[in-house]
Amino acid sequence: MNEYGFQRLVLLNSAGYERAELPLDDAVSLVAPNNTGKTSLINALQFLLIIDKRRMDFGPHSADASRRFYFPNNSAYILLEVVLPEVGSVVMGCVGKGMSHDYGYFVYRGQLNIEDFRGPDGSTVQEPRLAQHFERLGKVVYRYEPNEFTAALYGSGNRRRNEALDFTVFKLDYARHASAYQRVLTRTLRLDKLKSDEVKEYLLEIFKRELPDANIDFKAEWDKAFAEVNAERAQYRAALALKPTIERLADEQAERLELRGRIIHFRPLVDTALAAWQQHYDETRVQLGHALAEAQKQSHKLDSNQNAWVVEQTELGQRQKALEALNEEHATLARRFALTPDLAMLERQRDDAKAAYENQVARVHQANQVAPQALRRRIAATKRELESLHHQLAHLGSNLYLALAARLDEARLARLNRILSRDAMALPPDRFELTSELTDVIRHSAGEELQFAGLRLDTEGLPAQFSQRTEAELQDELAAQQSQLEQLQTQLSTAEALEKAVQLQRELEKRLREAEQALDDYRRFLELQTQESLRYDELERIAQRHAELSDKLRRIAELRTQYRKQEREHEAAIDTLDAQHRQIDRLRRERADQTPEFDALSELPHTPWLGRQNFSLDELAEQLEAYQQNCRRLIRLNELTAAKLQEIHHGGLTKYANESDSEREMERIIDFANHLAQEAEALARKERSAIVNVTVSLRELRDGLQVFKAQMRRFNRLISGRQLSDLKVFKIEPQEDAPLVEAIELLINTAEKADTGETFELFNQTSITDDAAITRAKDLLIRAGEARGCLRVENLFRLEFVVGKENQREEAFADIDSAASNGTVLMAKLVTGLALLHLMQDRRHRIRAVCYLDEASALDPRNQRNLIETAREFGFALIFASPTPQVTARYCVPISSRGGVNRISRLSWQILEPFESQNAPLEPA
Amino acid sequence: MTDVPRTVPLDQLPKLRELFEALNSGRHLNRHHDHALWVELEQQLKHYQTLFAALGYDLRIDGRGYAWFHTADATSTVSKNSRRLALFFLLLFEYQADQGQHLGKFHSWSLDRSLLQVLWEKNQALLEAEDVADVDGLADILNTGARYGFCLSEEPHWRLLPAVYRYLDHFEELAAELRVQKTEDVALAHWEDDV
Ligand SMILES: Nc1ncnc2c1ncn2[C@@H]1O[C@H](COP(=O)(O)OP(=O)(O)O)[C@@H](O)[C@H]1O
Ligand SMILES: [Mg+2]
Repeated sequence: MNEYGFQRLVLLNSAGYERAELPLDDAVSLVAPNNTGKTSLINALQFLLIIDKRRMDFGPHSADASRRFYFPNNSAYILLEVVLPEVGSVVMGCVGKGMSHDYGYFVYRGQLNIEDFRGPDGSTVQEPRLAQHFERLGKVVYRYEPNEFTAALYGSGNRRRNEALDFTVFKLDYARHASAYQRVLTRTLRLDKLKSDEVKEYLLEIFKRELPDANIDFKAEWDKAFAEVNAERAQYRAALALKPTIERLADEQAERLELRGRIIHFRPLVDTALAAWQQHYDETRVQLGHALAEAQKQSHKLDSNQNAWVVEQTELGQRQKALEALNEEHATLARRFALTPDLAMLERQRDDAKAAYENQVARVHQANQVAPQALRRRIAATKRELESLHHQLAHLGSNLYLALAARLDEARLARLNRILSRDAMALPPDRFELTSELTDVIRHSAGEELQFAGLRLDTEGLPAQFSQRTEAELQDELAAQQSQLEQLQTQLSTAEALEKAVQLQRELEKRLREAEQALDDYRRFLELQTQESLRYDELERIAQRHAELSDKLRRIAELRTQYRKQEREHEAAIDTLDAQHRQIDRLRRERADQTPEFDALSELPHTPWLGRQNFSLDELAEQLEAYQQNCRRLIRLNELTAAKLQEIHHGGLTKYANESDSEREMERIIDFANHLAQEAEALARKERSAIVNVTVSLRELRDGLQVFKAQMRRFNRLISGRQLSDLKVFKIEPQEDAPLVEAIELLINTAEKADTGETFELFNQTSITDDAAITRAKDLLIRAGEARGCLRVENLFRLEFVVGKENQREEAFADIDSAASNGTVLMAKLVTGLALLHLMQDRRHRIRAVCYLDEASALDPRNQRNLIETAREFGFALIFASPTPQVTARYCVPISSRGGVNRISRLSWQILEPFESQNAPLEPA
Repeated sequence: MTDVPRTVPLDQLPKLRELFEALNSGRHLNRHHDHALWVELEQQLKHYQTLFAALGYDLRIDGRGYAWFHTADATSTVSKNSRRLALFFLLLFEYQADQGQHLGKFHSWSLDRSLLQVLWEKNQALLEAEDVADVDGLADILNTGARYGFCLSEEPHWRLLPAVYRYLDHFEELAAELRVQKTEDVALAHWEDDV
């Protein structure tokens, strides 16, 4: 048994005890009926060992009630004697301060003697007089504030003063374990209440010191490691996508450099050439003007000559035609008069014709002619009269008139005769028919009226149409008419003969005219005959002159074409020159190279111009035009390349945006795009090192897990040193969280492969971060980390209580309480708790403490013994509480209760010695 | 440690509604899927347990990383779904065990259609009895499973979540019973032979 450690607990006027004295140096069986004060006695230790009110635990009793319960007045004491290696026996105490139920801490050196607290009057010393009282006993009482007391008790840094007593009881390997230790210690007073998650928490707390301080923000680590790679890959991908654009940019940039070289060379030459041009133009223009004017003058002169000659030639032509007409006329007349001997014959013929004509004129004049037409009409009328007379004669006794006269009176007949025609009245009987109706009608007509059915005529004044003549009268009339007809016919034949005579007269007049004409024509013939030779002479002269003129005109035409040609040539030359001048002038005014950027051109990168060196005045316009085009193209190229650069930036390729100027940036970009294959390799290398970097922290986590597992193995060895109840196996095992650990392993393995430079498929195909499994692993770690703020070793496993009974399979439980029977669980908890405390303590400074087991009768003696033994090994004395004595303990301590006041006297302690060391157990005294 | 307080500080449970809705819809929360919910559940476990118990819900948490509301009896659709899920996982575990797969490593399996095809062909009669008409029917079961937090659909495959332990535990119990049954049967057969 450890010589250092808790010795005795004494309560004075506290927790219902008038006085209690409990041994703590070995296993104790505290015996009393329930609800006596066993638990309260042990709980008193909390004031001395836990100190911090927040951590104390009085079960159903509140802190206030407990204070009142433990410190009802200022002579209530809780006292603990401990033997410590450095200072020997020390008494730690807690004393009530009176009505406030407050309490204070004190310590003094020496053994715990209850008599020391008895005042001169026999009563317990009151708190205010404590120091004085002890002084009289020759002892120094040190008072402590609670925090100082804690610091001293757990040997932590902030001791109050040098002169104070060093009474470190719980020396921990690590000061920061104090809180965990206290918590477990609180539980040791009630170890049966230990819970599974607390066990886990404490285990972690304890083993933390062994673990690397690994709590990693995996997302941050990943982002940090891959930030650069991702950025570069983004650049790489952008460049890949932009390759066609960059290639065009490269072409344009090359063209731009070439153009710049060209323009730098030609720009100064343009000025000189333009100056020279003006003079050249002025001179050439004047020369050409003169030449043109001369040609035009010559041409004009020719024109006026030509006009005169053309007029003359036309006149000659007309004259010639006239002469030829005369010749023609002469020839015609010559043919006509070929048989005419002379003029006299023609004169005779004319005289004959004249005489015949004049005779006839006289004849016609005699006849006073009646027009034959009128005669012919009178003959016809006479013939008709003759015919009518013959008709009347033929039907003289039987005509209509007579028939009517036979039936009508004279008056009525007369009226009828006024309306029927003469010929109608003379009609023969076979051409009319009379009925009585007519006579009736007419009879009814009175006066001068005639009335027919539907017609009434007034006949007054109408002449009578028919008069009935006798045959003789008719015969006379016929003869008269016959003679008239014969007379008329004779007159007609005379009239017709006169007409023919007139016709002949006209004929004779015509012949006279012809004879006179022939006479004139012949005279004309004679005249033409005489002039014939003159005419031929003239015609010859005309022909000669005509030929002359034609020749002249032909020569003029030739000359004129020559002059025209010259003129046109000069004009064309002038046009060309003017056009050139206009063009040059325009180019001069529109010079594209007058912006400042062209002034600074030579400072920009360019390809020196090695081509033609100068301008020629003749081709100046074209050359200038070409030069201008180059300037404009250069400006355009500036825009094009700038736009491409912008497009490239938009496409995400921005890594060279910080270059001193865009030109340099383009160069870098073009170069970059030309080396994408190498870039891809470099990226893969960087990715490999990124994954290696990122897994450094993961390795820490994994190693932490390994360390923790090793610690747990040690812990398990510690707790399985003794058999617990019927358990063959009892251990607490970390179960890896497979998905998380596998994710970590996957990344670490990937990194290891990458680290050895082993080229594996993954890198060749795509980037690491594109691999689905790796991405999943990464995401899992990131999300698990994010949800918890960071990833810690304890996130990688959970603890399981593994329990195995004899002949049965081991079983794992998340909760210790459900792992086995009550007694077994109790033991398991005790063992675990004690092991925890043991592990926390400094190995070189073992101070025996106590732990407490309520309801101890739940354990059988074998288990009790085991437990006592285990507790001893871990440095604890076990206190069983039960209504009946437990013989496995060394001390058996009954509580005597009288009149509601409890008492434990040292004298009532019963010491039980084991058989092995003593022959018989000590009989109760 | 102080005992659980009677009153639940709701302001410390910002994800209460989300958690409750998920659990109450029959979903299983998985540590490695529902990270945020899980962490809150883990950190405020006492409060959640008190609260849900007070409301009459039986919150269960398995240390292997999943949590759910336990119900004794289920509505007919849920039970139909669970029956199909149970059947599916039974067939899956059987097949995977035959393939020599470690069943505890189910979280690293990737279930694709070709696997479903094999399952279908092997168990056509059984599946048809449960109204599962074709491979699509199996895919539907998995998608249902995804709704209940048993798996994740990651086109073109599914991955199983820890909640599947609920089925795996059953399966293993069953398998153990079957083994006992078998040895007993064999013994019986021998005995009968002897008689
Ligand atoms: N912290 C406390 N504050 C007030 N009263 C207490 C406290 N602890 C115990 N008591 C009272 O002391 C008496 C004895 O209780 P307890 O020590 O638990 O009995 P036992 O452990 O012997 O069964 C009970 O009446 C109880 O109410
Ligand atoms: Mg008690």
